[in-house]
Amino acid sequence: MINELNILWMYPDILNLHGDRGNIMAFEKIGNMLDIKVNINKVESYNNEIDFENNDIMFFNVGEIKVMPTIIETLKKYSNELQKFIDDNKTIVLIGASGCIMAKKTIRKDSEFEGLGFLDMDLVERKSIYGDDILFKLNENNMEIVGCQIKMLDTILHSDISLATLEYGSGNNGYNEKTEGAKYKNIIYTNALGPVFIKNPWYTELLIKNALKNKGINIEKILTDNDFALEINSLNAIKNFINQKGEKDVS
Amino acid sequence: MKKIRFLFALFIGKIICFLVNIINKEKGTNIAGVFACKLQKDFISHFTGIDYNKVFFITGTNGKSTTNNMIVHTLRNSGKKVTSNLEGANLLTGVATALIKDSSLFGKLNSDFFVFETDERYFSIIYKYLPAKNICITNLQKDQVQRNGEPDYIYQKIKSVINKDMTLYLNNEEPRVKSLSKYAGKSIFYGVSKNDKSFVKNDFYDVSLPCPICNDKIIFDYYNVDNIGNFKCSNCEFKSNETIDFLATDINYDKATFKCLDYTYSINNTEPFFIYNYVLCIAICKTFGISENEIQEAFKNFKNISGRLETLHYKNKVIKYIRIKQENPETLQSALDYISCDKIPKIFVLGLEELKDFAPYYTNTFYAFDCNLDKLISSNVQRYICFSEAVAYDSANRLIYAGIDKNNISILPTDDDTAIMQELDKYDINNVYLITWLKKYYELDKYIKNHKEDKKND
Repeated sequence: MINELNILWMYPDILNLHGDRGNIMAFEKIGNMLDIKVNINKVESYNNEIDFENNDIMFFNVGEIKVMPTIIETLKKYSNELQKFIDDNKTIVLIGASGCIMAKKTIRKDSEFEGLGFLDMDLVERKSIYGDDILFKLNENNMEIVGCQIKMLDTILHSDISLATLEYGSGNNGYNEKTEGAKYKNIIYTNALGPVFIKNPWYTELLIKNALKNKGINIEKILTDNDFALEINSLNAIKNFINQKGEKDVS
Repeated sequence: MKKIRFLFALFIGKIICFLVNIINKEKGTNIAGVFACKLQKDFISHFTGIDYNKVFFITGTNGKSTTNNMIVHTLRNSGKKVTSNLEGANLLTGVATALIKDSSLFGKLNSDFFVFETDERYFSIIYKYLPAKNICITNLQKDQVQRNGEPDYIYQKIKSVINKDMTLYLNNEEPRVKSLSKYAGKSIFYGVSKNDKSFVKNDFYDVSLPCPICNDKIIFDYYNVDNIGNFKCSNCEFKSNETIDFLATDINYDKATFKCLDYTYSINNTEPFFIYNYVLCIAICKTFGISENEIQEAFKNFKNISGRLETLHYKNKVIKYIRIKQENPETLQSALDYISCDKIPKIFVLGLEELKDFAPYYTNTFYAFDCNLDKLISSNVQRYICFSEAVAYDSANRLIYAGIDKNNISILPTDDDTAIMQELDKYDINNVYLITWLKKYYELDKYIKNHKEDKKND
């Protein structure tokens, strides 16, 4: 019997900012390489019902900050189901500004709004936008991840929940901080764009396997460097580019 | 005291204009304005003879240079005196330079119209000193994310300036700009009807955008250009108007004609995004008393600014270069669609290079994932070449994710001109399309010219 992975692609048209639909394509492709059938279920509108029970991953790509309060209000209607989804160690991925959804609070220049509060952090709108490459290692296994970042928000972690340790770029709360993203249970929040799961298929593989393991399916197949040759070449090319940059006027 | 300071700044500005004119006309399109604005911050507010009812700002993400130049050309062709920043210097200093050039020694202007392309980020600053009554907003799209972040960032900047004393000229089929009408005193809508190049998106991975009113999903009945077409919100009442002031209809791409208010216009540029520029130009010119015949006469001899579409000749190959705006998926999509129209066997060279506009330089290629490559793939591309020291692999990966066989892609992790041209030499196909940054195009142009010189000398 073929193994199946069910992904909720949350608000594809609304959370559509930096080509991040590619992240969903990556889960489908890497899943197929692992001989897994990946079912992607779109939640297109706030009026759509969300099937928490039959899905393994909820995926929130990056969107404009202005849409976040509407998404938060919508998800509040599902607070029990969402709590169970998280308690069941199912995976939630949040990219960039979508971190507002699970944060405690987001402070904008002229207003603020509360998030669902599952991640012990606040997001604060920056005075200026910061765009750069980003390179970091996951705290859980030292896996190296490369991407870009377009930061409109700084992340203030209130407890030790960082996802990764920064090697290059702007950290959660600016250039001098070396933490990146956040993780609580299997809620994963990162600032990395790229799309990050296209550029780092090793991370995609890890999340797919973890999500399946969570429902009692162990995937034996291991994808090799040969499978990821293009992405490894890309990683090395961008690391070379980063090494040539030197210190820049960053904040 | 302010008046004396203004006259001094103006005098300095005029001397600089004179010197720039002697030394190099091509460069220094805003130098006079830079100095004048340094001497007096509110310099441009001191000019006299400006009727703000005849002042136009052309802003938005894409199409503002072309539209600005087209409007100015049409007005001038109709005998009107127009002050404008035609050279693309669209910041405060560029506007200041244009005013310096056209004013008397005392800062008096006698132009019939003032038409300025204004950078969307600096729109509010320019408006503060020059309160134009007519604002044209072409579209608000994803663009230059390293400085703009998200479209709403620019939307809010523009919205903060709009007031009831203004007339807005708005694209009826672009949701973001359409939604700005409620903040203005008057809105004049323009648009393009469904035509032979209109398309729908039904693929699983196709996405649209959030409603600017309620944040729910926008549904397009069809598109004329990516993210521009007849639309409605999936939740609220917001939608494109069914009847508008200026609508291009009966678009005939073979004959290069379209109708607007029952008059048939012949045009030189028939790409769908160009039709929007034409109809916006008609909207403004008609509103200000220019006749259809005068507009048509101007369209006949309108030439777009150079650098957007150029041709290079290398050995037997014809390399067609299409310029795109960096980090701008709509212009990349338009370029890909343009290439797709050519069904002759071809080589497609993609040089999405690292972004080096300002520090920190970085390797963004993610906007390519906003684009759809299906039409390109089915347009008889025989070979794909991706080059760039840092992002050739990422560019190639975008093509692979679109379904292109990786064995059909040459990946050149270099920016070396010789390597790029040597790769082209390997294939016996003369029809070549190139997308890269303008700087790289100039380098390749120079390389080819030098190559020809070397051949002659041999």
